[in-house]
Amino acid sequence: MSDLVVLGLKLGYLALLWLFIGFVANVVRTDLFGRKVPAAELAQAAVAATPTPAGRPQRMPRKVSKRLPTTLKVTSGAQAGVTVPLGSGILIGRSGDCQLILDDDYSSTRHARLTLTPSGYQVEDLGSTNGTFVNNQRISTPTPFGLDDTLRIGRTLMSVER
Amino acid sequence: MAALVGYRKRRGVELFMLVLAVGIGFAGYVLIHLNRDAKLPAAWPWALAALAGVGLVLHLVVRWRTPYADPLILPLVLLLNGTGLAMIHRLDLDDSRAPHSAELQLTWLFVAVAVCIAVLIVLRDYQVLRRYPYLLFLAGLVLLMLPLLPVIGQEKNGARIWIHLGSYSFQPAELAKIVLVIAFASYLVDKREVLALGGGRFLGLDLPRARDLGPILVMWLVSLAVLIFQKDLGTSLLFFGLFVMMIYVATEKPSWAILGVLMFLIGAYGAYLSFGHVQSRVSAWLDPFSNYDRNYQVIQAQFGIAWGGIFGTGWGLGRPNLTPLAKSDFISAALGEELGVTGLMAIIAMYGLLVARGLRAALGARDPFGKLISAGLAFVFALQVFAIIGGVTRLLPLTGLTTPYLSQGGSSLVANWLLVALLLVITHQIRKPAPELPAQPVVSLAADTTQVIQVDRAASSPTPRPAPPSSPDDELTEAVPSAPTPGRKVSSPTPSSPHDELTEAIPSAHGSGRTEPSPTPSSPTDATAPVPRIEEQP
Repeated sequence: MSDLVVLGLKLGYLALLWLFIGFVANVVRTDLFGRKVPAAELAQAAVAATPTPAGRPQRMPRKVSKRLPTTLKVTSGAQAGVTVPLGSGILIGRSGDCQLILDDDYSSTRHARLTLTPSGYQVEDLGSTNGTFVNNQRISTPTPFGLDDTLRIGRTLMSVER
Repeated sequence: MAALVGYRKRRGVELFMLVLAVGIGFAGYVLIHLNRDAKLPAAWPWALAALAGVGLVLHLVVRWRTPYADPLILPLVLLLNGTGLAMIHRLDLDDSRAPHSAELQLTWLFVAVAVCIAVLIVLRDYQVLRRYPYLLFLAGLVLLMLPLLPVIGQEKNGARIWIHLGSYSFQPAELAKIVLVIAFASYLVDKREVLALGGGRFLGLDLPRARDLGPILVMWLVSLAVLIFQKDLGTSLLFFGLFVMMIYVATEKPSWAILGVLMFLIGAYGAYLSFGHVQSRVSAWLDPFSNYDRNYQVIQAQFGIAWGGIFGTGWGLGRPNLTPLAKSDFISAALGEELGVTGLMAIIAMYGLLVARGLRAALGARDPFGKLISAGLAFVFALQVFAIIGGVTRLLPLTGLTTPYLSQGGSSLVANWLLVALLLVITHQIRKPAPELPAQPVVSLAADTTQVIQVDRAASSPTPRPAPPSSPDDELTEAVPSAPTPGRKVSSPTPSSPHDELTEAIPSAHGSGRTEPSPTPSSPTDATAPVPRIEEQP
């Protein structure tokens, strides 16, 4: 073989070695913090009474506009499994004019509202008796609500999905 | 709510990396023949099948037994092993005395992989290793001292670290390495609180208590014995270093590490003064050209690496055979010659990444034994690679250790694949989701504000009996007349169930008497609620 081919193969082999190390480094990087298991998934897993399935990685949204959720899903409670399209916003409560009618003893007639804002969805308590909880924090002001958050009204857990 | 951290299985990543690793190892083998003969070797399908088969079988076993294991360990090890096989094969081509050591090494690889698979299948939980610290310690010592026995022990190349059984020779120190890591880990888990107790202070350093110095003294003496009687610097350094590091990890006291380094320096200096073979090693390190004939090996290795330069001569185009023992101790010099500094650095980086994965497992481990054993395995591996590659490249005095996975030698291969199996089992257990994942929806009841529970008076008021204060659950469930809906069950009125939601949901502000909760006026929105329905997941 000509010297040039030998040189090319030699350098190619070394490049391949370092490419391998690069891949390894990338795996190390993506593995560094493990995977975020959103609270909603934990609740879902609890409903299914199975261990958390190792699904696709769910990273934190980088651009809100690209990763807007589309549905609200009841993950736990009497109505677990019910989904409602989000649209530009929905009303949650016991009343018949709500998009998500809760069958929850602790829910108020018009309990909370999810609205679309330029920075994503936000949830707002409508003066309910027992309060609206985002990630177990009772909210008093409109609060941003994303894919990793869990909404709780009474005994009902909800989360948004894409 | 803080998201829990879990690991993905990442077996697909592992498969991809394994394919790449097999490809690179095989490319080395093919390049040797392309560079030398300009044609493919006749046996190339077999070589590829052997390497790929090993990778595939391991991958499948890992998928089956340890699906959450670290995805990088196997590819890194297989790449190192493939490179080592290719280099041994390349050295075979110019070695008329032992032209089939690569085939032998491949056979040993199969044996080692079989051992690894057996461990993966048998060892489900690494905690069982914790049971016999003293027995394992004794076994490790016996393995270490085995070469000193008169019949089976044999002195080879100036060091008495081999045993012979029939036609097979074995280096028991390689196995002792792993046995002792397990023994130290289980011993230190039990004893670390005692060892962490401070004695006096000296120069701002918390010294350990004098009575706790026993174990480190024992290890020091054992290491000195290995150094004196087996004339093996490397093994002695390896075991003492391992023990010192593990005691440091277990106690988090720097004084142990400093004490260990001081003891090592004292021992090493004493050995230097007393033993000729240590002196010759040191002179070969500091001034190899003072005696060209005696230091021929080290000098040849330097020449080889120097000739290789940055990019090396290319597979099969150098002359690494000029270095004695190029297949075993000096294989990194051979790789440095043919792959250049670029390739040698890549190999060292792979070792570094492997060690980093072990230490990462130690960081992630939830129990002290897992922490200690993975840190110990990673460290003993790191120390071995550092000592031998440092010796070959003349950073350190040369020590007679094997280069893990690369160099020729069945016992080293088997022992280091055993280490891989242990790391896989440990990382699997560390990374898999915790089995105690809450079966209940994650609702912090402590965050609940006081809520008023509307009780259906008609159902419960006829029996307002005062309940004994010791069993509030009993009384409360009576106050809830709702029938269990299909699929859900009302919480059973066992007083011992601490997670009964109802008892916690009702704040204690309702009175210490724990009689029936009186109907309190609540907001109209809540008025229709007769009783809270209690749900429990099956």
